[in-house]
Amino acid sequence: MVRNIVILGGNSHPQLLKIVSDALAVPPCDRVLGKFSCGESRCEIKDSVRGKDVYIIQSGGGKVNDHFMDLCIMISACKTGSAKRVTVVLPLFPYSRQPDVPYNKAGAPLSKAPTDVNRKDFTFESLPATPSPAQPQSQGLSNGLDGLHKKLGKASLDQQNGTSYTNGIAGPRRSDTVDSLQSMNGRDRGSSQGSVTHSATPSFTTHDYANPGHISNNMFQAKPGYKQWVAQAGTLVADLITCAGADHVITMDLHDPQYQGFFDIPVDNLYGKSILKKYIQNKILDFSNAVVVSPDAGGAKRATAIADDLKINFALIHKERRPTRITDRQNATMMLVGDVAGKVAILVDDLADTSNTITRAAKLLKKEGATHVYALLTHGIFSGDAIDRINASALDKVVVTNSVPQDEHCRRCPKLEVLEVGGIFAEAIRRVHHGESISTLFWD
Amino acid sequence: MATNSIKLLTGNSHPQLAKQVAARLGIELAKTMSLNYSNQETSVTVGESVRDEDGKWEAEGTAADGPKTVFILQSTAPGDINDGLMELLIMINACKTASARRITAVIPNFPYARQDKKDKSRAPISAKLIANMLQTAGCNHIITMDLHASQIQGFFNVPVDNLYAEPSTLRWIRENLEVKDCVVVSPDAGGAKRYFPLSITISTSSFGFRNRLDLGFALIHKERARPNEVSRMVLVGDVEDKIAILVDDMADTCGTLVKAAETVMAHKARQVVAIVTHGILSGNAIETLNRSVLKNVVVTNTVPLGDKGERCDRLRVMDISPTLAEAIRRTHNGESVSFLFTHAPSD
Repeated sequence: MVRNIVILGGNSHPQLLKIVSDALAVPPCDRVLGKFSCGESRCEIKDSVRGKDVYIIQSGGGKVNDHFMDLCIMISACKTGSAKRVTVVLPLFPYSRQPDVPYNKAGAPLSKAPTDVNRKDFTFESLPATPSPAQPQSQGLSNGLDGLHKKLGKASLDQQNGTSYTNGIAGPRRSDTVDSLQSMNGRDRGSSQGSVTHSATPSFTTHDYANPGHISNNMFQAKPGYKQWVAQAGTLVADLITCAGADHVITMDLHDPQYQGFFDIPVDNLYGKSILKKYIQNKILDFSNAVVVSPDAGGAKRATAIADDLKINFALIHKERRPTRITDRQNATMMLVGDVAGKVAILVDDLADTSNTITRAAKLLKKEGATHVYALLTHGIFSGDAIDRINASALDKVVVTNSVPQDEHCRRCPKLEVLEVGGIFAEAIRRVHHGESISTLFWD
Repeated sequence: MATNSIKLLTGNSHPQLAKQVAARLGIELAKTMSLNYSNQETSVTVGESVRDEDGKWEAEGTAADGPKTVFILQSTAPGDINDGLMELLIMINACKTASARRITAVIPNFPYARQDKKDKSRAPISAKLIANMLQTAGCNHIITMDLHASQIQGFFNVPVDNLYAEPSTLRWIRENLEVKDCVVVSPDAGGAKRYFPLSITISTSSFGFRNRLDLGFALIHKERARPNEVSRMVLVGDVEDKIAILVDDMADTCGTLVKAAETVMAHKARQVVAIVTHGILSGNAIETLNRSVLKNVVVTNTVPLGDKGERCDRLRVMDISPTLAEAIRRTHNGESVSFLFTHAPSD
């Protein structure tokens, strides 16, 4: 029993709330959280929070915007209700994955500037080319849809490399902006960013950024000479949580570790690593002969950390930018670095949304001779047709934590196994409440 | 021309109103795209520059001078209020990070306006939270219409222009009703939203003959037990053989309006018409209205109505896009907006 503490739960993850409050032996705070008929969120906190240490548990899955607004309203309600401190527990941080640079059809970022006829006219200076009658109305679409595709590729390259856009080698990398940090960290994962749905139009996938016909279909095209860019919501979400009145944030396996820097309040980033590691040790037979595989270069650090701890081999899937063989379209851009032949391959990643990356990686691993392919993920969002994709894939087992509710996914996917994170969050909450160290939680 | 440099962006909540405003201003909507990923996070793409350029543009003789202010129009569609709000916040922040000098949010129907006070222990003042969030996102100015409580303006540290639909309302009354037989009835005399129906009588008697309608006034006193629920109603004033005009700032489930209409008819009014600024009309509002004694329900197009016009033949829509457009133009040019408090721009 922990005293002077209030555990308040949002609607996103009632099971986790129950586990945490049971572990702390504190009943969850009585509250009404719903919607008025007009769609506005309604929140009433029934129990007193005056002078209390309030922990609000809300995950980022499901209807993200509703849950996020609910969260902000709850924070603000606790603050105006004289709570001593409000700590936000976000097992999955909403908007933690930023939109990435455009990708080609195979899912790899476009880094080589395509050669096309209009190249001279297209400038990457901040000032667009002066429009003139001889020029096509929209530079972006001058070559038809494929043209915009190429332009986007160049734009993305420009974004990554600052001024140089001739190839992927030269050019000072801007590492001082939020933008480039994110594109550096998350750029290999865009293909799994997933399908995009739009209320009024047929559904999109982010692959459609590489296939602009779906998107620009009379609906959207950038101004001539202006490279379109996708808003990065990261800092905004951090600011909004702070502005609502949160004093402290506890989250798990942030997609970008830099995200912590967006906050002016303390952020405790917990690691799912220890749970995943325990799973490997206990559930995978002969794990010392297995190979930990990172499905992309961005997640290599996470995967090597586990491999090093367990003293097992490591392999990496590298997304090759140029197709090596035209015949092998699907895997043309994926290349395995390391050896998995005759071994169990364990894919390790922080998050799977549409599961495009891990299913394609699994296919490649099987092709390279892996006997079994496991996928170990901290956050299983599984939006869109992810579950169907996993069911049809070469993956033998997918292991996720319940940072977002997994009941529905489990029902539909026999390959799925769920690990419990409630205990870690409960312990983190207890430690934060008593002012104990969090980092010792992750010592082995 | 100065209006060339107005940048008007809009989200998905009310594209029709945005188009009308843009058409009225003689500009094109800025090229933006907002959609939801399959994990239901909102993504906003800006397809043109909003950067505040210096004089370079004119020097080179290119089309437009640099945008001074970015206007972002976003209403709140009933049902997806939170989605619309996040879209707006992301869009504001996108413009801010894209170096727009000033960002004005045009929110005809301010969301969460009814959650504006701590009426119970630990009740959230969500309107204040929204105000803070808008400012955090980077908003420099708000243009809104008929705030549920004008005190919400005080939640902001940036200027808030609270426009009135009242001039448009007065015009509608003049054009559609026998003015001499009309009496204005306030369905909710209690609470902070009193200003709106009263302001009609004030403005009719104090702002010259253009607005003078010389309407009688009555009010309904009611006791509200729970939100979206009405208990007892008492009419104060005379409506006998008159056309009663119920005036309110918003109609949500319409329970209040319909009860008020019944009360008025029970006092021998000839007919009863409701004029409401924000027609949220959520839940079973349309069915409630279709069963009611109300002859007409007049709303503005601050809130997207969808197919509600077809489902309810008593619904009439006043277009307030000229008022919004004029407010945007005046704000952009640094002119006074107060003219719009008493005059509706003509079509």
